[in-house]
Amino acid sequence: MPLIPARAVVLLAPGLIVLAILLFLPLANIAVESIRPYVPGKIGGARDAPFTLENYAALLHPVYLGYLGTMIWCAFAATLLALVTAYPIAYVIARTRTHFIRIALVGLLAGLLFLSALVRVYSLELSFGTVGLGRTIARLMGVTPNSRSYAEFLVTIGLAHHAIPLSALLMTATIQNINPRLAEAAQALGAPLWRAHLSTTIPLSTPGLLSAFLVCYTINLSAFVVPMVLGRGKVHFLSNLVYDRYGELANFPSGSAIAIELLLVTLVVTYGFGWMVRRLVPGDAR
Amino acid sequence: MMRRAVDNAWRAAVIALLALTLAFLIGPLIVAIMMSFDARGFLAPFPPTALSLRWYGTFFADKSFVAGLKMSLALAVAATLISGAVGTAAALALTQYEFRGKAFLSGLFLSPLMIPAVVIGLALLIFVSRWGIFNGFSRLLCAHVIVTLPFTIRSSLAGLAGIRRSMVDAALSLGANDRQAFFDITFPLAKTGIIAGCVFAFAFSLDDVAVSLFLYDTNSVTLPIALVSHMRANFDLSVAAAATFLAFITVLLIVVLDRTVGLNRVIGQGVYR
Repeated sequence: MPLIPARAVVLLAPGLIVLAILLFLPLANIAVESIRPYVPGKIGGARDAPFTLENYAALLHPVYLGYLGTMIWCAFAATLLALVTAYPIAYVIARTRTHFIRIALVGLLAGLLFLSALVRVYSLELSFGTVGLGRTIARLMGVTPNSRSYAEFLVTIGLAHHAIPLSALLMTATIQNINPRLAEAAQALGAPLWRAHLSTTIPLSTPGLLSAFLVCYTINLSAFVVPMVLGRGKVHFLSNLVYDRYGELANFPSGSAIAIELLLVTLVVTYGFGWMVRRLVPGDAR
Repeated sequence: MMRRAVDNAWRAAVIALLALTLAFLIGPLIVAIMMSFDARGFLAPFPPTALSLRWYGTFFADKSFVAGLKMSLALAVAATLISGAVGTAAALALTQYEFRGKAFLSGLFLSPLMIPAVVIGLALLIFVSRWGIFNGFSRLLCAHVIVTLPFTIRSSLAGLAGIRRSMVDAALSLGANDRQAFFDITFPLAKTGIIAGCVFAFAFSLDDVAVSLFLYDTNSVTLPIALVSHMRANFDLSVAAAATFLAFITVLLIVVLDRTVGLNRVIGQGVYR
């Protein structure tokens, strides 16, 4: 193959310059920032002092590990909840013979996907907060509406509210390429409906399920608005800690260290999980 | 008989789950929309006892909201135009020319999607303060271009992928210049992909909080930022009016997307239909 043609270089240049200046250079900047000592009241860490790992060492404190654990758990629970509840929707879209149902559901899901995060959290706060069903649900869960567990519950359903339409649309593509005759054959051979699906449709949707899981989990891990508003100061994701470091303490070195930690967690999930999937599931499961 | 009963029970359970899920997805929005028409002057339990437009009045009378809306729209238009142009150019290079390292470059262009928004926000903040870019609008524009770029690139890549190089070559051999070949052949064919990418970029820019929070200043407060600070200070119903207004913009964008690309085509028909 030839080297890059001159015209292609001209077309690629603006994009590459934007990426280099507005993304990679700043990222390299915070990587360096994260190993600088913090000087109170100064924007950016001390530039003449020797590099240090203390900003990262602080993240091993149990409080921070707790934040990390809550984030990983809430994002995981929301993703799982989304997959289970989105599957029937995706199934209906893929299999329905009624054009109207299909169009209505796809339009609804696309609308929910485009919906502003603020509208989402505000509506959920109205419906599931203390003005809405909050007291009732909290009582059923055996906690108070102001407790940490209820805040975790709110954050989880807040994340799921975005992840459900996303995973339903992703899984529809997979399900509509599974032959419906397979489940019918299983039934004809005497399997009850649930077993017919459990042994044909669902195993064959594994690639779609895994890719939806991966996409939703990565997005949930980097959520910002949902934990900030629905977490009510009781649930903090790493994103929120990064912002608090900047907004409340102006501690840039520590903020940068948390940002790098968040970036690493996301990349490990994306690439680590992607690698595992490619090893476990043959074919184009991505 | 037993089996039919089990099947019916299973079907009923799945339908119940489906109904519950749809109720969870739509219910809160209906609550917010109805509450935005509440005539009561305070945040009271659902449902509203009487209807009025007072909260819309409050919303549009609030200078910070109106200024924020203008700022958000200006920013979204500017960011979409820049990232649409830059993204289409890059996608054009990646689809119309053969060279080494194309897969790597495509991956590179989509990489902002992998990076959590706050990380981009903080990184850009440290960067722009170091380079002395203090104008709020320019700072926000930088941020919005970088976060929307993957959308315009990915979508125009998909739109351009189906165009054979031979069509462009035919136009060129018939005497068209590069610009004419692009505007007469390539662009009309790739239009849906490019427009869909721009719609995504516009929606994303209009809604961004995580990146903008780091970069705005008092003269460039966007609507989402104004709403977040309002939500944290006092949780009243003018935000419900704003939310309804934003949901309406969402519906408009979906209609645009349906008219240009067709929602059905976004997910495809599948093999067994």
